[in-house]
Amino acid sequence: MGEIVLKVENINKRFGATQALKDVSFAVEKGTIHSLLGRNGAGKSTVVNIIAGIYRQNDGTVTLEGKDVTPYSVFERQNMGIKLVPQHASIVPELTVGENIFVGIWPEKKGFVDWKTLYKMAEAELKKYGLEVDPKEKVKNLNAVDQRKVNIVRAMHGGAKVIILDEPTTALSTKERAELFVFVNELKARGTSFIFISHYLQEVVELSDDVTVIRDGCSFTGMDEDGLHEEKLANLIAGEEVELIRRQRAEDDNQRNLLVEVDCISGSILKDVSVNLYKGEITGVVGFPGSGAREFLRTLFGLEKVRSGKVIVKDSGVMLAKSPWNAIKNGISYVSNDRHKEGIVGLMTIEENISLPLLYSMLKGRFGFVDKNKSKGISRDYFDLFHIKANTIYDKLSSLSGGNQQKVVVAKAVSSSPKLLMLDEPTIGIDIKSREEIIENVIKIVEEKQTSVLYLTNDFDELVRAVDRILFFNEGKLVKDVRNENLTHDDIISIRDSLADQPAII
Amino acid sequence: MDSKWFKIRKNLLNNIVWILLILAIIVVGGLEKSFFTTTVMGNVLSQATVLGILSFAQAFAIMLGLIDLSLLGVMSFSATTGLLLIERGCPTPIAILMIFAVGALLGAMNGVLIAKLKAVALVETLAVKLTLLGAFLAITQGRAITSVPDSYKWFGQGNIAGIPTLPIALVIVFVVVYILWNKTPYGRSLYAVGGNEHAAYVSGIKVDRIKIIAFTISGLLAGIAGFFLSAYMGAVTSTFGTSYDMNNIAATVIGGVACSGGKGNVLGVLGGVLLLTVIQVGLQILGVASYYVQMINGLIIFIAVLLDAFRLKSEQVR
Repeated sequence: MGEIVLKVENINKRFGATQALKDVSFAVEKGTIHSLLGRNGAGKSTVVNIIAGIYRQNDGTVTLEGKDVTPYSVFERQNMGIKLVPQHASIVPELTVGENIFVGIWPEKKGFVDWKTLYKMAEAELKKYGLEVDPKEKVKNLNAVDQRKVNIVRAMHGGAKVIILDEPTTALSTKERAELFVFVNELKARGTSFIFISHYLQEVVELSDDVTVIRDGCSFTGMDEDGLHEEKLANLIAGEEVELIRRQRAEDDNQRNLLVEVDCISGSILKDVSVNLYKGEITGVVGFPGSGAREFLRTLFGLEKVRSGKVIVKDSGVMLAKSPWNAIKNGISYVSNDRHKEGIVGLMTIEENISLPLLYSMLKGRFGFVDKNKSKGISRDYFDLFHIKANTIYDKLSSLSGGNQQKVVVAKAVSSSPKLLMLDEPTIGIDIKSREEIIENVIKIVEEKQTSVLYLTNDFDELVRAVDRILFFNEGKLVKDVRNENLTHDDIISIRDSLADQPAII
Repeated sequence: MDSKWFKIRKNLLNNIVWILLILAIIVVGGLEKSFFTTTVMGNVLSQATVLGILSFAQAFAIMLGLIDLSLLGVMSFSATTGLLLIERGCPTPIAILMIFAVGALLGAMNGVLIAKLKAVALVETLAVKLTLLGAFLAITQGRAITSVPDSYKWFGQGNIAGIPTLPIALVIVFVVVYILWNKTPYGRSLYAVGGNEHAAYVSGIKVDRIKIIAFTISGLLAGIAGFFLSAYMGAVTSTFGTSYDMNNIAATVIGGVACSGGKGNVLGVLGGVLLLTVIQVGLQILGVASYYVQMINGLIIFIAVLLDAFRLKSEQVR
């Protein structure tokens, strides 16, 4: 055993009545990479927030080099050497690299920022950590991996003992990921410790010296005598055997019935996207952020501006949704990737949430009042169908777990019986069981109602289980359209990465 | 055990207005027996009417997580318009309708600027308020308009079968707003937009329209409040309605409408209105010098905002 830098002992954390963490313990050694694994919602971010001082534990201790840090604030802990590098929002894109590194600790001369010294210092810092970027460059002009490196350099400055990297590889390509790992390994060799958070098992096994799995708020060590095993970790994370739903493929291409014809749509990101969508078919959508994948869905739903092109929905005629209201009326539904921002109304009940898209159509009753019986009936049906775990349909959304909130969001989207259902990360941040229940129900609805589905997710294991066909987007263009014939997670990644510089096929 | 205590605390915070109201009645009634006479009680209800209608108006804005500071301006300006029309020989019923129309129109203007142009409600309604109060002073030159016909005054001073008109008006407005909030698609949309504007939009709700309607109704209610106050006073004076200016916000928030929007109910607002009115009338009959009244009003708003903060906290720690 090497020297212990950071020790977490018997941490308990309650949010109101919910026990978020139960006796979580682990220790980080000097100059090692310690991974925290676990499904979204398992409690990883709570642990990290307690270490950084953002949340306060109910009991248990966090010690840095033998010193209990409980009484110290976030800011004080930073100065002591505990640095949190969050997933996003920690860099200011409009500022330069140098400014970003010294945000909040600008060198001053007579009360003004001393720019000359700042950039000199920034250059030295960058050189020290082997990062070749111009300190005067605006951060928004850097590529994704360099942005993350700048973040880490900023954490290193002022003496970091433990750097917490919260899902640093999200949205990075395989090559960029490898590049980031080289960088982290170099810093590790100089004695800095890392807490690494990810849910990609493969990269965790590749990178980590030690692993702790968080499940249902409890911690489990991922190490045994033979070291790390991907399979063993997978079981540890899941906790129980959940049957994975797999879609039975639709019949072959010739028998498909056309539902939506997308004709040359262009917008702020999309460039001349044309594609046909068919009834009863689940179409996967893949692409990096900003590639047009998400924008494609949002454009069809009327959330993004369109410059040119048209969309023809069979039986609804020519239409390009101008607003979600318009889209829903024409049989198009959308589940946003951001449940909290665009999915739930936390203060409202399950029934009220599910009935939102139907208020001005199906649920309009006598005197223009809401037909409450009908609203209750519809909500109860979906409540049962999705196995939503709550006391009644009158429970407020804010009182439900993430998985159950997401079930309500999906139920809301299908409550208007859409012809085209668009799912944007429908299972993000929820437990495995809820995830499988959602996928199962989507497949069921497709089979029963011949709904066409667009399915965007970055969980490619899930994607290949659910979809019949996959559209790849890059730089605003639709660059590849393939049938899902026993494709695997790795196939998707390699297709996506290889398409990075190819011209559009359509 | 834990969760039970949380629930009790939450319910207590959400309904605290009724406890405060009973306390206020006991304190005021205990110190001054005459509080329980029909005259004083009638006075409480009459004073509650104008504050009540204004608070319902304010509740529409606060439900959206916004605020409408223009109510006093809209109320004075529309009432003045009506009385000036009567002065110039316009038939009373038409003048009354004009008061409502001016109120609704000013509210609609607020709504369009806030929903479509994304003007910040706080500043936009403040500008409207100052402009309208200025216009009110410019038009009246500071003089009181007192040429009010009896048929007009009746709405504020008369009675139907022995019941004064003002409380009847309050009950009617209360019932209409209650139905609107609790029974109609509009009401649910209002809660949804206030609770999470983006989620409501993605759920197919026409968010801008909901906001414009909210402000239009808010303006209309301010006009109605102006009408009843001018009928009650039989005049429009230079200090018209100023005592209700900030109290309507306090009543709404004490009544449980969350400043962040999406939460609250009409009955709670009524409770807040009654509480504030009992305190006001109580201060009068107890003979508290008017020098202290403003400070006490300030403290009440202070309590309201603290209650709101506690409620928010109890909601987050679920």
